[in-house]
Amino acid sequence: MNASFLLFTLLNTGFVLLISPLFMSLIKKVKAYTQGRKGPRLLQSYSDLRKLMQKEVVYSPNSSGIMRITPYLNLAVLLLATLFIPIVFIPEAPAGIGNIIVFLYLLAIERFFTALCGLDAGSTFGGMGSSRLMSLSAVIEPTMIIAFAALAYVLKTVNFHEMFAITAGSTIPESPTLALISISLFIIIIVETGRIPVDNPATHLELTMINEAMILEQSGKNLALIELAHAVKQTILMAVLINILAPWGLATELTFTGIVVSCLYFLVKASLLAGLIGLFESSIAKMRLFRLPGFYMMAFFFSALTILMEVFA
Amino acid sequence: MILSFMTDPAFLENIVRILFVFVLIAAAFILSTRNIASLLTVYTVQSLLLVLIATFLYLMEGNQTLLEIAVLTLVTKVLLIPFFINLIGEKIKISRDMKFNYLEPTSSLLVSMALILLAYVFVSGFFDEVILGKLFFIGAVIGLSLTLMGMLVIFSRRKVITKAIGYLTMENGVLLFGIFVADLPFIIEILIVIDLMILILLTTILATGLDSTIEEYHQRLQTLKIWSGREH
Repeated sequence: MNASFLLFTLLNTGFVLLISPLFMSLIKKVKAYTQGRKGPRLLQSYSDLRKLMQKEVVYSPNSSGIMRITPYLNLAVLLLATLFIPIVFIPEAPAGIGNIIVFLYLLAIERFFTALCGLDAGSTFGGMGSSRLMSLSAVIEPTMIIAFAALAYVLKTVNFHEMFAITAGSTIPESPTLALISISLFIIIIVETGRIPVDNPATHLELTMINEAMILEQSGKNLALIELAHAVKQTILMAVLINILAPWGLATELTFTGIVVSCLYFLVKASLLAGLIGLFESSIAKMRLFRLPGFYMMAFFFSALTILMEVFA
Repeated sequence: MILSFMTDPAFLENIVRILFVFVLIAAAFILSTRNIASLLTVYTVQSLLLVLIATFLYLMEGNQTLLEIAVLTLVTKVLLIPFFINLIGEKIKISRDMKFNYLEPTSSLLVSMALILLAYVFVSGFFDEVILGKLFFIGAVIGLSLTLMGMLVIFSRRKVITKAIGYLTMENGVLLFGIFVADLPFIIEILIVIDLMILILLTTILATGLDSTIEEYHQRLQTLKIWSGREH
């Protein structure tokens, strides 16, 4: 491992951890504004996390070790995934880091343990949430694979680091078809982070919840870690979309100014995207569970269309 | 500085390609949107994209007809036709079209992918990519695909107003195909537009039946004895 990659590990992970909760609050704020409310402070998520960190953890007597390790494991897996998505600068990474397939598996591990954790405490809600998550995953998984395959096909590499290096060097999107993939990536962000119309993160209604149902048994520090992991996941998925469609400002070399500019650019672009997600959530209603495959089909359509256009046109 | 950008053929070609992608995105939304107001907005945006494509092609080629087509499309398809359909929308007071024939939006999207493939095979059978040029070849494929997707809308929707939008999408496809392949004479384009205006006017006049499906529409006409000439 070279020195620049070590620095990248620290900076990238630290930056993502630092800014992730901000976007959660920002989305809530945008949603509140569209509903005519003032909404929470922008730093509310940070104080929520701090408060939860100070509380004790209560475990159900029926729960096993899964319940104890999942919060740590999820956050660790997602922080590892963070290394795959450069935000501060693009380093010379060791083999394997940045690979799309490994990235997808890391997300799958996180999902698998969250579902397992939902089942672990033996409560009705947890099991229901896990079952819903797994059913939906079975539908979104092929769509995700097709979307990332299309991305790999257009940019002729399966490594995120190389992809970003290619897109960062162009003034307009590298290929017109990237606009098609960006719609798929947007839908993937919505689905993976459990936002409206797929799931409603603001309610605790048994009819609508998926993610909330699985973490209902979590408390204290563990809940804080899960919330933080969720925020990190959202940030890295947003970063994929941003670095593909609007890579301006992303530093390709290790310089102090480059890193600062890169971080500032990302903060602005991600805030805009978070605002867009908030607006999207406000303008659409929660879908019935059985209508969701239709929503995913949109992502599938655009990804498959990208491959079609790239192959033939 | 800006002007030199605008005359660079490679830059213009890239912009036209991006516009193609947006035309397809709009077509996908027309296939799957249930809200009639959104449907109309998407149609207007799609027409505007065609105006932009024609304008950029004019900048690339300098053919006067392209500019005339752009202006005509802007006046009719971006301003007049949406205005008339909007009038209908206000009259019939329906906001959503939830009824589908044979195909739900999800399966329509899948079928339209097959249609794009079919259009590619068909166009490549008739025109040589090398002679036509890559950009013009893609334009022809997308134009034909758009026509077929419009047909799919007519085929899969049940409400008359959405069928009318399907017909309009088909015409957008014909226009795109014409721009890129047939070198559509301006006079034919005018005739098509007049045709469309009459269609929309007729649709406006017959607005009373537009909140119904085709089957209900026949029922209403029969109940009112319009065709037999007898009073009810």
